[in-house]
Order: sequence, then C-alpha cells, then structure tokens
Amino acid sequence: MKRYRLTYFLGQSFKGLWRNGIMTLASITVLMSCLVVMGSFVLLILNIDENLEKLGLLNEIVVFVDDTKTDEEVEEIHKELEKIPNVAEITFISKEQALEEEKEKYKEYSGLYELVEGDNPLRDSFVIKYEDNSAVQPLVDNISRTDGIAKVNNRADLATSIENIKNGISHVLIWFMTILFVVSIFVIINTIKLAVHSRRAEISIMRYIGATNWFVILPFIFEGIFIGIISSVFAFFIQWYIYGYVVTEMAGTLDFLSIITFDSIGHYVALAFLGIGIVTGIIGSTISTRKHLKA
Amino acid sequence: MIEFRDVKKVYPNGTVALDGVSLKINDGEFVFIVGESGAGKTTLTKLLLREEKASSGSIIVRSNRDEETAKKPAVYDLSKISDFKVPHYRREIGVVFQDFRLFPNKTVFENVAFAMQVVGEPTKIIKRRVPAILNIVNLTEKSGSYPSQLSGGEQQRVALARALANNPQIIIADEPTGNIDPKMSLEIMNLLVKIHKRGKTVIVVTHEKDLVDYFQQRVVKIQGGKVISDGVGGMNV
Repeated sequence: MKRYRLTYFLGQSFKGLWRNGIMTLASITVLMSCLVVMGSFVLLILNIDENLEKLGLLNEIVVFVDDTKTDEEVEEIHKELEKIPNVAEITFISKEQALEEEKEKYKEYSGLYELVEGDNPLRDSFVIKYEDNSAVQPLVDNISRTDGIAKVNNRADLATSIENIKNGISHVLIWFMTILFVVSIFVIINTIKLAVHSRRAEISIMRYIGATNWFVILPFIFEGIFIGIISSVFAFFIQWYIYGYVVTEMAGTLDFLSIITFDSIGHYVALAFLGIGIVTGIIGSTISTRKHLKA
Repeated sequence: MIEFRDVKKVYPNGTVALDGVSLKINDGEFVFIVGESGAGKTTLTKLLLREEKASSGSIIVRSNRDEETAKKPAVYDLSKISDFKVPHYRREIGVVFQDFRLFPNKTVFENVAFAMQVVGEPTKIIKRRVPAILNIVNLTEKSGSYPSQLSGGEQQRVALARALANNPQIIIADEPTGNIDPKMSLEIMNLLVKIHKRGKTVIVVTHEKDLVDYFQQRVVKIQGGKVISDGVGGMNV
C-alpha cells in the first residue's frame, strides 16, 4: 500500500520557511498587521453596535416646553402629547426638578447653581417613551407640531448619526481590508516564489524520479498555512493587548459607554484570525506554485 | 518496448532537432545512441522523458507487468499523455545524468530512498530495498556518506542506484561517463551491462567512441536529426 508521510511535507515546509527567513518574517508581519487592523475595526464596530442597541433600548424622546408657557398651558401640552400615536408613557420634569437633578449630578460645582437659584435657566420638559422603534420620525414630527414645544431632543437622531458613522467606518474597513489582504497575498506569493526558486534543482530531480505535482507542491502549501497560523497567533495576542489597553484608558473617561469585554469575544477573534490567516496563506501559496511550478 | 514513429521535433525558434526518426527498441535490449553534439541525442532523450513533446509523429512506450512491485502492464503514447499522467510514466524509467543530480544534503542511502518516498513506498520496504540496490552498485559501505564525500564515479553509482530504486523496466543514461575518468567510466558501463543482464532495457546516450567500440552492442547513430545507421558493433557500424 502506497502512502506518503506527513512528517516529510511538514519538515520540508519548516526548512523552506527557515531558509527564506527574511521573506517569511515579512509575510508574517504584513499578514499579522492586516489581521490586527481588521480586528480593531471589527471590535470598534461591535462596540458601536452594542451602544446603539443600548440607545435604542431607552426608547425615549425629551421634549422641552417653551418657557413663556404657564403651568396651565403646560398641563394642556401634556394632554395634547398623550393623544399622539406611538406614545407609551409621559413623565413631566419641572424646571425646578431639572435644576435639582443637575445640582445632584455636579455636586462639586454647587456654588455655580446658587448663582442661578432665583432665575432658573432650565425649561420644563417631558420624557416621552414610545412603543415602535421604526416609527420614531412620525412621532417626532407630531410632537414638533404641537403648540408650545420649544425643542425636541431625539435620541433616534443620535442613533442615526452613530449608525452613519458606523457605516462609514465599515466602508473604510472593507477597502482597507481588501488592500491589506491583496498586499498580504502578494508578499506570501513572493515568499513562496523564493522558496520554489531555492529548491528548483531538487524539484527538477523530483520530477525525473516521478514525483506527482501535489507531492512537489504540498510543502509550499504547508508553508503558506504556517505563515497564516503564526501570523494569526501573534495578531491575537497583539489584539488582546491593544484592546485591553484601550478599554482601560477609556474606562475612566467614558463611563457612559458600554464596552464589550475581550473575554466574551476572544475565542471568536482567535477563530476568525486563524481562519483568515490560513485561507490567505493557502491562496498565496497556491497562486505562487501554480505560476512557478508548471509540469 | 519503445517505438518512435516518424518523430519530428521543431523548437519554437525554428531549429529542427529531430527529422522523421523511426526507431524500435525491444524489451531487454542494450542500445547506444551516438552522435556529435547537436545531432539530436539530447532532444531524443527529452522526448523519451516527456520533457518535450514531439511536433509530429508518435512515441509509444509499453511496459510489462513487474512481479517484484506488482505493477500492472501499461502503454503510454507520449504525444497524447496528459500532464497528470507524466509522473506515473516517469516511474517506468530510471534516468542517470552526466552531472549526477544528487541531493547534496542527503546521504547515499537517503538519495536512493527518496526516489521510493516520492512514489509513496512504505518505510519498511524502503529499508529492505535500498541496501539491496546499494549492493548491486557496490556502495554498501558508503551508505552514510554525503555526495560531496564521494568520487565522481561513486556519485554516478549512487545516481544509478537511485534510477533502479523503483525497479523500472527502462534505464536511460545520458552521457553517464561524461564527468568521470576512464577507469571509472568502464566501471559504470560494466554496471549498466550488469543491470541489462538482470532484464532491463538500457539506453546509453554517449559520444565516447572507445566505450561504444569496447562493448559491441546495438548502436543507433544520429546526425542532423536523422538516424543514419542502426546495427550491432562499434561506433562505425
């Protein structure tokens, strides 16, 4: 029974990688950078998504009342607002309440609030919770048309802006990734090409003694796979470090954001890096051997 | 059995290397292919190894069943054979070159064993068969040496051992004595005769008149891409 030894192919691959050390290093560095950049973008997008979802969950619009309105008129506005479709719940916050809340929030500047005690610059407001996320705009339009409303603070607008930024980042990501992967594949093609070149005498002997194409090619494919694996392992640890660093830095300053922990997505990152690394390695080495190893 | 039927080979630059060669070599024959440089000997070898394709005509190689390796008989039409089948065809032929073409970083044993690894022979068979082949070419004691530690004649014997590794029916030796001294040349030729006597078809491509005259075998003389003589005897047959 004819059989081929895997150790032979693996051994040849390692020799090839070692022999062209500089090119191997270049391939690993480029592919690794590509994976880290891609990983960073994806993690950023995932975090934006997470926060968008949080924003969406709030389901509320804050409506400020024109400050010339009397308490009776405010009561009228409250009734008008209740009639608008898609309104689930209305909470009235008087300007006095609002000032108290502000004071509570910024205790260290309480002196400043004392200055405005007699002439409260804040407005009465309504916090409106709604039912249907998809019909926010008609609701906002209806509220705006209500008499006595000075300003509508719509979180849906914010969500849309963030969504737009996210889409922009996604577009940049796709282009950036495409370019980086093309560069990675190009560098791997050249690394394997060098490996093929340095072994051309051996390959010619192998051909004379009846080596099949795949027997000749397989070590080079393995080289590509190894480049992919090594790059993805390094990329994973770098990503882990960078993410940890950024999250720690942000933790103190941007408390209101909800950040995904690396522990909860680390295994997906590892699998994605490994998969993309291996596939890129295989594509690079296949193109190279097909071009340079014609029978 | 090898048969060239009206084979013509024209290279892309217009050089006519072979011009209507017809030739039949039966199983178990010993044949010298002789001729001056540029006569077409190398092209003939390249066609036989399917390194090149004939421009017209056909080359048929028929191999018999091999009891030792249980290999089935096969017929190859080299003008029609697909690239995929070429490696399998090449296993029917053992080839020896003027420049030996050994792996410098492998020992004598490993060089011979590699030819068997390439075709997927199990290690058990490789370990049994390689010493037997090295014995045929009198290199048992050099089994662990590297090519750089061997003389030209010894390196050519390793190449010959490698050519025999997969027990091919046909051995092609392309100028096998071109890089070695006359005494060693005679030794290599004697080995080829010994291999021939074991039932192999041996084709020796050479321009060394003394050797051809000494061994008195079938001589096919090529000149200007044509076979100009074919018979048993010396160079001037």
